[in-house]
Amino acid sequence: MGNWQRLVWNQRDALFSGLVVTVEICLIAFACAIVGGLLLCLIRMYVRPLRPVAIVLIEFFRATPILVQLLWVNYAWPALFGWPDTFFTAAWVALALQSSGYLAETFRGGIEAIPRGHREAAYSVGMRPMLVFRRIILPQVALSTAPSIVNQFTVIVKSSTLVSVITVQDLMFESQRIVNIWYEPIEMLTATAAIYIIIVFLVSTAGKALSDMLRRRFGIAAA
Amino acid sequence: MSETLQQLLDISIFWEYRTVLLRGLAVNFYVFVCAAIVALSLGLGAALLRVSRRRPLRALGTLHVEIFRNAPDYVMVVWVHFVLPLLIGTLLHTRFELNPFVSAIIALGFVYSGYFAETFRAGIEAVPIGQIEAGRSCGMSDRHILWRIVLPQVVRRMLPESINQFISLFKATTIVSLIAVPDLMYQVSMITQQEMRPLPLYTGAALVYFAVILVASYALRAASERWRNKIFA
Repeated sequence: MGNWQRLVWNQRDALFSGLVVTVEICLIAFACAIVGGLLLCLIRMYVRPLRPVAIVLIEFFRATPILVQLLWVNYAWPALFGWPDTFFTAAWVALALQSSGYLAETFRGGIEAIPRGHREAAYSVGMRPMLVFRRIILPQVALSTAPSIVNQFTVIVKSSTLVSVITVQDLMFESQRIVNIWYEPIEMLTATAAIYIIIVFLVSTAGKALSDMLRRRFGIAAA
Repeated sequence: MSETLQQLLDISIFWEYRTVLLRGLAVNFYVFVCAAIVALSLGLGAALLRVSRRRPLRALGTLHVEIFRNAPDYVMVVWVHFVLPLLIGTLLHTRFELNPFVSAIIALGFVYSGYFAETFRAGIEAVPIGQIEAGRSCGMSDRHILWRIVLPQVVRRMLPESINQFISLFKATTIVSLIAVPDLMYQVSMITQQEMRPLPLYTGAALVYFAVILVASYALRAASERWRNKIFA
């Protein structure tokens, strides 16, 4: 146990600061991915002229490995667009890109699963398209896609371990930095793996409970 | 901007290094195939544990699935490569080292076995219990029932779901470049360090993976659709 105290517990400040960075990146990326995914999905479904662009973007984001996207955003974007200017920005942009592609398809599935009759009924009582989307479609889509959205968040957390490769000082980076001081990886890396497994487990359990609760509270069966 | 565009469109660098890059892509496929074999066999084992009648075996299966489904691939790859050899070395009282290829295959195989176990389990539980009882009443042994009645149906049912998992496994093989397995991404990083031109190289790598994965996923989906229709018809 002495080793564990020296190598892991005494390093808790560094690990905690890494954990904070991990949480920040995941939350920013998740928020951007939801907004971006919704935009891509709406463009794909309702904006005819831009449809091929949206399809290519969605397929590109979905079909490239996250490590490749991360390095691409980090090394190629500054030369192409002059942005992102920090590693931190590059990290969440890459994570958000990948997930927005997946979420766009999730949202599309959710929207297409809503019976036509709902939309027609809303129009026939005189609701405007924007209102129909906000009051009829979006709530049902949010309810039916909640489990997939939570699942996507766990994917973001798992992929966020890779941002240490572009020297963002997240939990994985801090743990490897400490390993490189003493060259005693057993305790440190085991602890890191355990922390990540517990975080992802908690996130997915909490998310499952949340989406079950939402369904019981607002689902069609509850009404 | 025009200079940047010129640099972007200059794909001669890919032609110059074509043998190295293609060999890297082959390494990706090699790691993928080996890890998929490990993942499928471990996943089937874990799924059988989870549907077992004995409670401790069920708990063991659940533990396996929960650990590996919730573990990030990169963390597992690093752990297997740097910690596992030390643990084995302490047990055997010798110096023990893992080849990066072997670590990559073990790590990815174990991580994806968690996902495959869940897919297998869903397929196994979807087989009506009456079929198993019918098999027993004809005097078939448990192993015979598994291979002749349950698994053929499971394989067909889990085909669409497992294609997605094979594709994520292939995408995950890029991570092995970080423990110096010479795959495509590793070669691209090495060439970047030599040529100092990250823009065309990383863009090209992204496009290569995009093309390979897009073509593979459409082809696999079409093939599985065809196969399913043929068998169910």
